[in-house]
Amino acid sequence: MALVKLNDLEIEVEDGTNIVEAARQHGIEVPHYCYHPGLSRPANCRMCLVETFTSPAGSEMPDRQLATGCTTTVRTAPPDRKLDGKYDFIVRTDSPRVKKAREDVLEFLLVHHPLDCPVCDQAGECDLQDYSYRHGHDKSRYLEVKNVPPKKDLGPDVLLYSTRCVVCTRCIRFAQEVSGTGELGLINRGSHDEIDIPRSHEGTPLQLLDNKLAGNVVDICPVGALISKDFLFKSRPWFLEKANSVCTGCSVGCNITVEYKADGVYRIKPRFHEDINQHWICDDGRLGYHYVNSDDRLQLPLKRVENELAPTHWADALSVITEQLSETEADDIVVIGSAQATNEDNYVLQQFAHDVLQTTQLGLFGHPLGEEHKFPQFTIEADKNPNTAGARTILGSANGNVVLEGDALWEKVSGAKIVYLVSGGPERPLEDAEKAALENVDFLIVQDVLQSEATQLADVVLPGTTFVEKDGTITNSTGWVQRIRKTIDPPGEARVDWEITQQLAKQLGGEMNYRFAGEIAIAIAENVSGYADATHQNIGDAGIKLAE
Amino acid sequence: MVEEKRILYEHLDVPDINTFDVFRQYDGYKRFEKAIAEYQPDDIAKMVMDSGLKGRGGAGFSTGLKWSFVPRDIKPCYLCCNADESEPGTFSNRYVLEKNPHLLIEGILICCYAMGIETTYVYIRGEFTLGKRMLDAAIKEAYEKGYLGKDVRGTGLNIDIYTHPGAGAYICGEETGLIESLEGKRGQPRNKPPFPAVEGVFMKPTVVQNVETLCNLPFIVGNGVEWYTKMGPTYADTRNDPPTPDPNTGTKLYCISGDVNEPGVYELELGLTCSELIEVAGGLRGEEVKAVIPGGSSAPILTHYELDTRLDFTSLTLAKSMLGSGGIIVMNETRNIVDCLLNIMKFYAHESCGQCTPCRWGTPWVRDIVQRIADGGGRPDTITRPKFGVTESGRWGDTGETEEIYEDLDLLESVANNIANVDTMTWNTICVFGIAVSWPAVSYMRKFRPEFEAAIREGKLVTLPVAEATVPPEENYAYQQRFIPKEFADL
Repeated sequence: MALVKLNDLEIEVEDGTNIVEAARQHGIEVPHYCYHPGLSRPANCRMCLVETFTSPAGSEMPDRQLATGCTTTVRTAPPDRKLDGKYDFIVRTDSPRVKKAREDVLEFLLVHHPLDCPVCDQAGECDLQDYSYRHGHDKSRYLEVKNVPPKKDLGPDVLLYSTRCVVCTRCIRFAQEVSGTGELGLINRGSHDEIDIPRSHEGTPLQLLDNKLAGNVVDICPVGALISKDFLFKSRPWFLEKANSVCTGCSVGCNITVEYKADGVYRIKPRFHEDINQHWICDDGRLGYHYVNSDDRLQLPLKRVENELAPTHWADALSVITEQLSETEADDIVVIGSAQATNEDNYVLQQFAHDVLQTTQLGLFGHPLGEEHKFPQFTIEADKNPNTAGARTILGSANGNVVLEGDALWEKVSGAKIVYLVSGGPERPLEDAEKAALENVDFLIVQDVLQSEATQLADVVLPGTTFVEKDGTITNSTGWVQRIRKTIDPPGEARVDWEITQQLAKQLGGEMNYRFAGEIAIAIAENVSGYADATHQNIGDAGIKLAE
Repeated sequence: MVEEKRILYEHLDVPDINTFDVFRQYDGYKRFEKAIAEYQPDDIAKMVMDSGLKGRGGAGFSTGLKWSFVPRDIKPCYLCCNADESEPGTFSNRYVLEKNPHLLIEGILICCYAMGIETTYVYIRGEFTLGKRMLDAAIKEAYEKGYLGKDVRGTGLNIDIYTHPGAGAYICGEETGLIESLEGKRGQPRNKPPFPAVEGVFMKPTVVQNVETLCNLPFIVGNGVEWYTKMGPTYADTRNDPPTPDPNTGTKLYCISGDVNEPGVYELELGLTCSELIEVAGGLRGEEVKAVIPGGSSAPILTHYELDTRLDFTSLTLAKSMLGSGGIIVMNETRNIVDCLLNIMKFYAHESCGQCTPCRWGTPWVRDIVQRIADGGGRPDTITRPKFGVTESGRWGDTGETEEIYEDLDLLESVANNIANVDTMTWNTICVFGIAVSWPAVSYMRKFRPEFEAAIREGKLVTLPVAEATVPPEENYAYQQRFIPKEFADL
């Protein structure tokens, strides 16, 4: 640890930390554009200039040149080289020289900027806007003609408004270092610098910004140059509510922020987690939320009447089910949990199966294996279910429970009379064997969020909820238990999955009385080995890692 | 009358000196052989240090000192020869490349021997097609004769030279821009530190030297340090106690162009004055000297009051200018300084690499302001600002008085100083390109302010008589610097 004098503060900083991070840890902002903690540091924006004092005179004598805070790192000085008798490093981020340098750099940044904040998506979360208010001039001295480079379509989800670009090159470095795909580069020189993709002489794109991590360049763009087509003109960012959650697109469990209004989810942004996703998420997760807002969401329970699925009300649907269940032997009932559902959903489900129906054979259903994508600093896993690990443990947690998967499961299903199937994921297609097995079932109950091949075969369909409509925990492939949070209300009369199961249990005389997901998590912590600490309170935003 | 002192250029005009056999007749490679036979590598490094040789590329940094920063335990170490001579007004290296390439190879060999280097890259300006052809041919010959390649002349040294043409960017003459370009990347300078001596080509220690600097090495080794140090003045730096020697030894290839009767490259001892140099170049063409650019287009301009300035590294630094690459451009009374500045600013706006913010957007802004003034669009509004000058303490500062100045001139000075401040010598940019822009911009404006004011007042370019166009020395900081605290004195 190095003892640093930062302005008038005396702080302890770990060796190797740069000034921007050291200051941030102590609540002092050093403005910057090109620096991003997840990328290399070219120090080209010159915004993070700070005043250092490295001469033996210590704080009496600032160094002649200002230093860039992003590339200047703190090191413990040998005992005979301490400054002012005790400090390893002295730095000022608030001296008149530093303030003037920031002003000057900002003036240059705004020289060619179109100042089109009223129509810019980034307004409200724009570093150029924020720093201009905090550190900039109040008027422009620029009288000459502004550069107007063209707007460019870079790829499926990314637009480039070149006029707003400050050429910090974060996006270029991202494509080189994190995704390793290298689609982006600088063309032209000097004030005509433009970000671009490879093009032929006629301007036809030779390669689009079309990799599974492309959306991250929009997040890291400090200004409104790179814009997501998905979010373009949808909403002002300050109107959006935010909730910390976890992506359910695959078993990595990337930390995300769900940004939403009462009428639905507007966008998904990555949230930093050092051990899981660092600063990034993939586009499957980023753009995969649209089914949540879909008009086709199941809003009412459906029941098969004369070979057609017809809407009904909950009391009716549940009474049909309880009637069927109470007339059937336990051995002929198969309850299938889901790798897409939360630990709480699955816990209530297995409790229902074990305690109420007294079956010990449960199934586990989920998305089939997809493709794995490996990038230099990021992996999208092949298992497209967020909670395979958790579901397996939780479903098999009670004494005597056996969790069936794959062929064993479908063999069992084809001999069963009643199957209670909890969604294997939105619009999950069925393979032939699965379909044949489900067709054999006398009475099929499907709990899902959208119409799917499984719901088409069902006798009763129960409308469940998506990951943004319920609280709960999920366990990723590396053993991290993390929280998802309710943001919006479920559509129509759709209900949280564990509530549906609990209702069924109650109607069948079971004793289950959970009031909220946190209570189930406490039950899990008490009863499932390894989950002893995994209460909602403990998990918080950071998640907890299960013991190996 | 001052005589030329030809050392590097001595045999330049010998027919076929570019071939090994002719070069050999004129002591070719004998200095290298002497180095190997008589000296240890460290001895050579010490000789270079003692000779006081300063880098001829522009910065004038001591070559021996630069070599001493190179860690000896990290291998491979590279030598990068900077032949990307692109400073406007400079054209001395190309003659070496085109006419006497073996001299450069010999210099490279001595440097490689002294530093234990096995691989050399010669980064040649792309436009020097003839120079590259000649050098390539000479390298081929040297390989054939056993002066390059494995086990050079049976000494066990392995030395390879590769030539690499640039693609026409000025900034690739900056040492780290050159290294980036050499590595196949976009030619944009790196942040320093680390300096190339520690982390250069392919992240290994690298010695970057100009062609002219390397060409000096054979003569230092061949004729000895004592012979070398007799040329050029050595000053005493009285800021240290006791005063330390500040050598400006050797000769310099001065490229004289502009309004002189016989423009060309002249090899002269360091330390001659500006007027002497004009005499050497056949005298002034025209009535009187209006201005002299002493070290390539990025150097601050000198006025006719400053013609007694000695053209060496130290004297020009004290005159708030620089010797730079030795590209001297003389201007007579017919030249309009606003127009000259516009020409130079167009060049720099075009050549800014665009990597860092102040230079990327500041340089074209400065050009546009000058363009607007030259086009007659200068605003007649004036502002009142504190007058800076020599204060009672003898230092530069706020004099307590105020002055009226055209808003556009204040803007020009302020924008240029925001890229790189010429008064405090601090810059917000990554490399020194920033100061290369603001130095001419601010010095032209301050020293020839009446001509800028006339352009704004009249709405067109007005060429004033020399006496009227030039700001008198007592009103100008740049001159005053030469008369206040005399920190250097002749030994």
